[in-house]
Amino acid sequence: MDTLFRLVSLQASEQQQQQQPQQSASYNSRSTTSSGGSRSSSHQTNASYNYYHHHHSSSSSGGGGGGGQYYYSQQQPQQSYYLEPYQEECGGNAQHHHHHLYMDEDFSSSSSSRHFHSHGGAGQPPTSSATPTAPTPPLSTSSTAAGAGHALFEAADLSFPPDLNLDFSSPASSPGGGGTASSAAVGGGGGGRWASQLLLECARAVATRESQRVQQLMWMLNELASPYGDVEQKLASYFLQGLFARLTASGPRTLRTLAAATDRNTSFDSTRRTALRFQELSPWSSFGHVAANGAILESFLEAAAASSEPQRFHILDLSNTFCTQWPTLLEALATRSPDDTPHLSITTVVSAAPSAPTSAVQRVMREIGQRMEKFARLMGVPFRFRAVHHSGDLAELDLDALDLTEGGATTGIAVNCMNSLRGVVPGGARRRGAFAASLRRLGPRIVTVVEEEADLVAADPEASSDEGGRNTEEAFLKVFGEGLRFFSAYMDSLEESFPKTSNERLALERAAGRAIVDLVSCPASESMERRETAVAWARRLRLAGFSPVPFSDDVADDVRSLLRRYREGWSMREAGTDDSPAGAGVFLAWKEQPLVWASAWRP
Amino acid sequence: MIQGVLSRAPATDAAAAAMKAKRAASIPEDEDSARGKRLQLHDSAAEQGPGLAAASAAETRGLRLLRLLLRCAEAVAADQLPEARDMLQEIAELASPFGSSPERVAAYFGDALCARVLSSYLGAYSPLLAASPLAAAQSRRVSSAFQAYNALSPLVKFSHFTANKAILQALDGEDRVHVVDLDIMQGLQWPGLFHMLASRPCRPLSLRVTGLGASLDVLHATGRRLADFAASLGLPFEFHPIEGKIGHVADAAALLGHHHREATVVYWMHHCLYDVTGSDVGTVRLLKSLRPKLVTIVEQDLGHSGDFLGRFVEALHYYSALFDALGDGASAGAAEEERHAVERLLLGAEIRNIVAVGGPKRTGEVRVERWGDELRRAGFRPVSLTGAPAAQARLLLGMYPWKGYTLVEEDGCLKLGWKDLSLLTASSWEPTTAEDGLVVVAAAARQEGQDS
Repeated sequence: MDTLFRLVSLQASEQQQQQQPQQSASYNSRSTTSSGGSRSSSHQTNASYNYYHHHHSSSSSGGGGGGGQYYYSQQQPQQSYYLEPYQEECGGNAQHHHHHLYMDEDFSSSSSSRHFHSHGGAGQPPTSSATPTAPTPPLSTSSTAAGAGHALFEAADLSFPPDLNLDFSSPASSPGGGGTASSAAVGGGGGGRWASQLLLECARAVATRESQRVQQLMWMLNELASPYGDVEQKLASYFLQGLFARLTASGPRTLRTLAAATDRNTSFDSTRRTALRFQELSPWSSFGHVAANGAILESFLEAAAASSEPQRFHILDLSNTFCTQWPTLLEALATRSPDDTPHLSITTVVSAAPSAPTSAVQRVMREIGQRMEKFARLMGVPFRFRAVHHSGDLAELDLDALDLTEGGATTGIAVNCMNSLRGVVPGGARRRGAFAASLRRLGPRIVTVVEEEADLVAADPEASSDEGGRNTEEAFLKVFGEGLRFFSAYMDSLEESFPKTSNERLALERAAGRAIVDLVSCPASESMERRETAVAWARRLRLAGFSPVPFSDDVADDVRSLLRRYREGWSMREAGTDDSPAGAGVFLAWKEQPLVWASAWRP
Repeated sequence: MIQGVLSRAPATDAAAAAMKAKRAASIPEDEDSARGKRLQLHDSAAEQGPGLAAASAAETRGLRLLRLLLRCAEAVAADQLPEARDMLQEIAELASPFGSSPERVAAYFGDALCARVLSSYLGAYSPLLAASPLAAAQSRRVSSAFQAYNALSPLVKFSHFTANKAILQALDGEDRVHVVDLDIMQGLQWPGLFHMLASRPCRPLSLRVTGLGASLDVLHATGRRLADFAASLGLPFEFHPIEGKIGHVADAAALLGHHHREATVVYWMHHCLYDVTGSDVGTVRLLKSLRPKLVTIVEQDLGHSGDFLGRFVEALHYYSALFDALGDGASAGAAEEERHAVERLLLGAEIRNIVAVGGPKRTGEVRVERWGDELRRAGFRPVSLTGAPAAQARLLLGMYPWKGYTLVEEDGCLKLGWKDLSLLTASSWEPTTAEDGLVVVAAAARQEGQDS
């Protein structure tokens, strides 16, 4: 019952007794926080209160810092800035009203400018000439390092860009872009795709360093975006954060603080609630689980049938779905084994980016391990569970140290790669291919691979040794556009699958937001979000010495009946025939757009 | 006038005074104690120091959010934008637009701070709405959210009913009626007035509504609805849409009709969704030259001017009460969706504007903080609402299952509050005398002569 309202009231009434100590001491020292090139302390002191009286001290404070920082170069007397539009407005009466002027602190801070907007207000037509005429500093990525004076751009009075024909129609109406960004058509929903249009235009302007245009488009996005609005507003919000982090070169820092914040506030219950609700309402993860479990089970049963020895299987589980995949496999193994239920070991490698939440995940996995063991006892499956935490590039995971053979006792190994192969950071030296080859060396009976279908590796990492990690503007644009397509469809599916007011959906969207920041503003060589397409993965797996195992009709039926439990819009598609180079596995599609790929392989 | 200047001159005092006004009722304060109060807020936030992570188990989520919000606002005020961004991640993680009322209010303040930080980097602060193809779509969305708000909370009804009663009193004996609504939206309240006018013994000979708004489409739709309703009551009706803002209307003649015997009343319900006046000065001048029989306004008891931190703290207090009033915790599906729409489209949008660079007008200029005082200076005098309007308001609050709302009569004004915090103040004003009115008009005419 303790609401913020009551808390505020309480604090306020307590404070009525307080007297402010040494009020004069804190005045005028504001310039100390905004001047110079060093980053000011992250902890507030009383000095932060002097914004009250800093009109005269602050505007000249900025100074140094990286190129492109904007401090108003023309330091005209401030009053004139206020009076100009004012006189215009109330005609000749300025002197009288001058005294009414209330100077907002905002306009005397060094992060902003005293630029005044024309008071056209609502009557102002969408003019085409409103872009600023002042010389524009080059885009800078270093200005934040100075600690103060964060402005990336010269202050400007902006209006709708005339060359953009944005589609603000409601989602119910027909799709169609128009303007220069009409190619931004993305699947799912249709309707006003203004966010994709604006974001693509903005990314293009970022790539070509048209700073005025970047400023104008980011202003529009900032005004329109909301993490709590409709899909377009959410896309605008999360991608804008990514673009912003890129412009301020603060991607890794943003990602770290995001992850730390998530880490501190994630409990087992909240994680479980979100994962279960996601599976209840969307086949996004259960699609891969059902397909992979089907392939693994058939492979195990086949081995058991071929041998009279007691079987001892080991699953190397490279996944991030908190073992929600395994109860159904345990159950199937218990009920469908003809003789003795084989022994099963699961080694779950929880692999995460160095910046990802870690302690929360460890807490969660401890709890999950206990529950898994309990469930196996219940099912009568001899069982051993192990969780291994691996931080960073999956390629650096020491597979030999995992001892999957359990000293030779294991009779069959399965490797389950559930959205995990992208955890091998792309880069030179054919890293992903090499990892697939190292899986091959484990001698598995079967390898299941589920990946999200998006082409987010800018250059083919196999093509040359140094091309992959380089983030050229062209590469940035490609990844941005493809990321936008993919996450548009993902967010759209969440929007339609979840109730309008769902904290679980919000958590999933925020997780997607972290991936977006990573994709847009962090170097590919550290990124674990670089998804690839089925075609690329299939080629790599073949090169590593695997051949595809088609899903049996039983498994395909299982997947189809799974999809029938969810709302309309989901479908399963074959990837193609076995002969085609890409022909392996099946896709989960949302509104005709393939988004998740599941496949099975054997050496 | 000089007094006004002096009291406003140092930024801190105006904000402190605004804070003071909030709790003026019980404890007499001076500026120092108001300032001390804010320092106290600051100190309690700073205590946490580096231990952003080390939140004690006993600390509630609401308290953590409150402290984080205040620290973040301080960082913004001190221009420490990277630090503010770090804190915003934590706030977004803890807050939720679908949670308890502290979580909800924090979600919107966090979002608003986030937008503000970005606009500080961008150096672009003006609102997008005014000049965009979005205006009509947005205007419709806001209108429908207003209808939902009308059903969820007594605030809108309080404004409508109280004003209608005051207007009806002022129109006693008038048979030619002209209503000017400075921000008409869907004109939700006017059918009620039409009904009362139609049931008077002497029915009006003419009834005209002038509605201002940002979108002509929306205005026309409103006009059609009102015309239909008036026709159903057999009232002669005329609708006059004006696309634009009152402060930009150059000449009162544009609003006045042909009948010199027409009695004009002006209604204005304040909000921070967008700038209604365009120019405060122009608005005052126009209201004077209109010589209305009555100006009835409903103001939010929320300061718009002043330095950022003062504005922030005051708004946090104000909206915490509003969100608290809308209910704590999750409610049933459809009701929660409705509440979410209201909070996001109305309250969240207002919070964004208040926290934005330059405040609700996005320009930093707020020349009129309390419109009542300004109208008094401009030659109007208050018309007491203690009679029928107060009775109407009391009836309204008694009618609904809305516990916790309070009604206070103060100097002829009506104040609707939540618990101890006053949320809205309704007041009515009339020109002091007819002669005064003429003098004012003459002065305005002279002034316009000088302008041209």
